[in-house]
Amino acid sequence: MTLEKIARNIPASLWDEASEKLIDITLGSRNASKMPSDLAKTILYYWQRDQLATEVGLHRLLEASMILEPEKTVSLMKELGLSEIVVMLKETS
Amino acid sequence: MVEFGIEFVPRDLYWKTTFYAIQAEKIGFDYLWITDHFNNRNVYVSLAIASAYTERIKFGPGVTNPYLVHPVVTAQAVATLDEIAPGRVVCGLGAGDKTTLQMVNLEQRKPLSTIRESVRIIREITSGRALEMQGTIFKVSGTKLNFKIANPIPIFIGAQGPKMLTLAAEIGDGVLINASHPKDVENAMKFIRQGAEKVGKKFEDLNIVAYTSFSIASNYDKAFKAVVPVVAYIVAGSPEIILKRHGIPVELASKIRNAIVHGLWKEAFSSVDDNMAEAFSICGAPEICIGKIGKLVELGVNQIVVGSPIGPNMRKSINMIASEVFPHFKEAVGEKRT
Repeated sequence: MTLEKIARNIPASLWDEASEKLIDITLGSRNASKMPSDLAKTILYYWQRDQLATEVGLHRLLEASMILEPEKTVSLMKELGLSEIVVMLKETS
Repeated sequence: MVEFGIEFVPRDLYWKTTFYAIQAEKIGFDYLWITDHFNNRNVYVSLAIASAYTERIKFGPGVTNPYLVHPVVTAQAVATLDEIAPGRVVCGLGAGDKTTLQMVNLEQRKPLSTIRESVRIIREITSGRALEMQGTIFKVSGTKLNFKIANPIPIFIGAQGPKMLTLAAEIGDGVLINASHPKDVENAMKFIRQGAEKVGKKFEDLNIVAYTSFSIASNYDKAFKAVVPVVAYIVAGSPEIILKRHGIPVELASKIRNAIVHGLWKEAFSSVDDNMAEAFSICGAPEICIGKIGKLVELGVNQIVVGSPIGPNMRKSINMIASEVFPHFKEAVGEKRT
């Protein structure tokens, strides 16, 4: 399953919280240099337009955090109670 | 009117700096300043990308220096930025950081003449005029850009010592006082007044900026830890008169300077104490920062620049400034210098 489809499974009620925490993971990552430049620019585009807490924004944040910090990303989804997404993420990685 | 600027040091990846620049614009900062040190990412590349993702915030190098970058190149760079973000560009110019210049064997020679001539070059060239100048430092013959510049670029001069402060008020569109402590800002105001009077400018009309080192966090210890490296650099580059004003032993400052020049960061940073942080930064929990900013505003400062590091967690600290600090000063707008 693609990360785009996985992001669609995050309930809208959790978009804000998931977005905030994924941003924290991404900005605080020690692997930040692994961020693909195109993906970084896409995230900046959505950030400028206040769209990081939307389906499209979450897709890109999820993509970034899975590249930089896959374990922390999975832990976050567990913390948010999204067990189905945990399974999906494990299958993709 | 009190405005707020934020300064970033582009030692982070470009997308992080840009992320924070977008955040700064969203929460209401008026200016974005990016430092110019050869050992960090390039200031103009960083500003160009930040400008592409922002719409309102004014921005510029904070500050560049004419020892490493010839003023014609600075003029060219800020003029190009004005094409990308018309009317939003400012140019911060200073005599450079002695410690960094030493690393590339550059001497901070005749800083006053160098700045005076640089301002003339940048101003003339960004005004679209051809410049003929036989200065004591720079000589240019019929120098002109091959493209048109739509907007004037205000030049802010970074200053700390008396003569540079006077000169900055005299020839600058703004004065960036390189200080965080009310004592230093109060002292600077005397020289700024002198400079303004010399050329018939009204003190009230001056754009006076306190360019502070700033670190905000929920508690002092966290804020202090984050501000230590920048305080070490300031102590290392401060003139004796300023060190003495704050009771900082000159020998200790020399020790820190030598450690920095030789890359002995642990030694340099471990020598920084609370007194140095108090003298050269605004550092602590929100109430401490608010108090110190309030004093600067009372002295007549009309832009507060919160300089990197800003806090132990950049994103949270920027948000903390918005939620805890801004509300106190948006009310104070217009009350000072009346």
